[in-house]
Amino acid sequence: MIDTKHEIVFHPEKCVGCGLCYKACFVDVIRWDEENKKPVFKYVEDCEHCFYCESVCKRGAIEVKPNYASERLLQHFDRYR
Amino acid sequence: MKTQVDRKTLSTDVLIAGGGVGGLTAAISIKEIAPELDVLIVEKQTCGYGGKANKGGGVLQYFDLTKMDPWDFVKYHANVIGGFLGDQELLAKYVSMNNHMLDKLTEWGAKVPKNPDGTYNVMPTGPATAIIGVDLDITLKMRRTAEKLGVKIIDKVAITDLLKKDGKIAGATGFSLLDGTFYEITAKAVIMATGSQNYRIGSMWGSGRGDGIAAVYRAGAELRNVEFGNFAQLVRVRSHTEVVYGENFMYNAKGEHITKNFLKEREPDISSKAIREWYWAMTNGTGPVHLRFDSPQSEGGAPLSRLWDRPYGQEFWRLNHERAAAVDTDTEVCPLLIGEQSPIKVGHDMQTTIPGLYAIGDASYCGSAAPGAVPAPPGRNRGSGILNAVFAGISCAESVANHAKSNPLPEVDKEQIEKSFTRVFAPLERESGCTCKDVIRKVQEAMGPMEYSVYMHADRIAQALAIVLEAKALVPQMKAVDFHDLLSCHEAEAMVLSAEMHYRAAEMRKESRGWFLREDYPEMDNKNWLKWIIVKNVDGEMTFSTEDVPIEKWPVKPMA
Repeated sequence: MIDTKHEIVFHPEKCVGCGLCYKACFVDVIRWDEENKKPVFKYVEDCEHCFYCESVCKRGAIEVKPNYASERLLQHFDRYR
Repeated sequence: MKTQVDRKTLSTDVLIAGGGVGGLTAAISIKEIAPELDVLIVEKQTCGYGGKANKGGGVLQYFDLTKMDPWDFVKYHANVIGGFLGDQELLAKYVSMNNHMLDKLTEWGAKVPKNPDGTYNVMPTGPATAIIGVDLDITLKMRRTAEKLGVKIIDKVAITDLLKKDGKIAGATGFSLLDGTFYEITAKAVIMATGSQNYRIGSMWGSGRGDGIAAVYRAGAELRNVEFGNFAQLVRVRSHTEVVYGENFMYNAKGEHITKNFLKEREPDISSKAIREWYWAMTNGTGPVHLRFDSPQSEGGAPLSRLWDRPYGQEFWRLNHERAAAVDTDTEVCPLLIGEQSPIKVGHDMQTTIPGLYAIGDASYCGSAAPGAVPAPPGRNRGSGILNAVFAGISCAESVANHAKSNPLPEVDKEQIEKSFTRVFAPLERESGCTCKDVIRKVQEAMGPMEYSVYMHADRIAQALAIVLEAKALVPQMKAVDFHDLLSCHEAEAMVLSAEMHYRAAEMRKESRGWFLREDYPEMDNKNWLKWIIVKNVDGEMTFSTEDVPIEKWPVKPMA
C-alpha cells in the first residue's frame, strides 16, 4: 500500500523506551530516536495498518487509527456499473 | 558522486538475505549441521519481525502419517490444486517431513499446541489431514535460537545486488536504510530468503516486494512459473479485511447464491473461478456481491484464532478485527490482488542455476515447481506457508554447508562492486525526475484489476502490459530523497520487472490450469502446455523458453 492516511497517535508519557514498536514495524514507518529513547513516526504515509506497533506496546503508548478509505482496492468499479 | 556514505566490507561462509521464518530455519539448520561455519543473516527490517509468518493466521498443515501415504496427498494435489504442473517428488518429500518439521519448530522455541498426552492438538480437515495453530512470535523465538547457535544478524540493511566470480556466487552488496552505509559482503554461499512479489497492494502478510527476485534475475539465474504470481483474496470493501473461505457464501444483488455457479463441493481454498464469478456479477448488472454466512462460525477466520491459546497472536488479531468491525457496515466483498510471485528456479536442494546461490521460502516456491499451477502459499493449500519455508530452509542446509566447506572465500571483482554502488545510489544522484510512487501506482494499475491479472484475456493482457511498459520507461527517472525512499525505488523497479514477466509469460500460456485462468483459452491443454515457462536475463534482455514437465517419470498423470 502507498499514500495511505492512517493516523498513529503516540502518548510519549506512557512510553518506556523499549523500542519494540520500532522493531515490529516491517515497513520502516517507525524510526528510533536513540538520544531520547522514543519512536519517531517518520514515514506514516507507508503505514499498512497492521497494528503490530500497537500490539507489542504493553504500555498503551500507541494507537493506530486506520483510514481504510485511503487504501486503493484497484478494481474498476466505475467501469463495471 | 554527491552521495557520501560509509562503506563496510564483510566476509562470511554463508550469507542469508532475509530474516523471516525461511531464512531463520536455514541459518539454524546449517549451524546444527556445521557449527564451524559463519552464518550471517541480513534483514532489511528487523529479523524476527519481518517476513510473513508472524502476520498471518498462525496455522500449520498437519498430516497424520500413521494413516496416510504422502503420495495420497500428491495425487490429490496434482488433480485438485496443482494441475499436474508440480514436481511430485518434491511435494512428496514435503509431506513426508511434516511431523519432523513440527518437532523441529517446537525444539526451536515455537509454541505449537499439544494435548496432555504429548500429541499435537490438531483440528481435522479431512480423514488424515488437519491444521494446527502456532503463535505469531514464532520468528522471535527462532531468532533467539539462531543467535544462541552463533548466527550473526544485521538489521535494517537491504541486499541489492549479487556478486559472482567465475560463474559462481561470490557475495552481495547492500545498503543501510538508516544511514546509507554501503555493504560489500563476500560469501561462499548466498541464500535468498527475501519473500515473494506482492506489489504493495494488499497489506499484512503480503509484504514481499520482489527485490530479491530482481537481484537474482539481474545475476542471470533462471526463473520459472512467473505467471502464477497472481493470487487474490476476497476482502470486505470497507475495511479490506480478508474473508478466508468467503467464496462459499457469495450472493449477488438478486439474492442468488452464486457460489453454486462455480463450486460443486467445498474446495480447500478460494479458486480463481470465484474471482471470475465476482467479475461476471459486477459486469452483467447483478453485482455487487455480498456474503451471507450460514452460521456465525463461518464468518472469517475469527473462530480459528480462538481454537488454541496463542496470546501473542490473539492481541494482534483482536486489534485487526475490532478496528475493521467499526467500518464494516455491510458484507459487500471484492477481490484484492495479493500476488505472491515466487519464481526463482531451484532444484531439490534449493540451489538456483548459479552454483552457490540458493533461494528458499516464498522467493522460490513456484520456482521449485513443488506446488504446480498455483501461486505461493497459501496457494490453495492452507497452512503450507510457514511449513514450506521451513521445508526449504531444512532442505538447503546440507548442500549449502557442503558448498561452503568445499569452496574457498571468493575474490571479489572490484569492478562489479563499483558498478553496484553506482546503480544502487543512482536515484539519489538525480536532480529531478519522478517518484518511486509514480512507478508503483502504474504497476498497481496494471496488476490490481482482476480482469487484467487474474481473469485474463489476450486483449486485456496487452492493455495491462502497455501500462507496465509505461512504468518501465519511468524507472531510469526515479529520484530518491533519502535512504528509505531509495529502497522504495529499488522495490518499484522490481515490481516493474515482476509485472512484465507475469504478463509476457501469461500471454504465452494459451490455456487455463490450476489458478491460471484465461477467458480466451478456458481449457487445460495437456497436449501443448505440460510445460514450465523459463525466464532468463541474457545480457540485459528478458528471454523466455519452455521446459517439458517430466510427467512420464512421476506416478500421477492427467487422465487421457
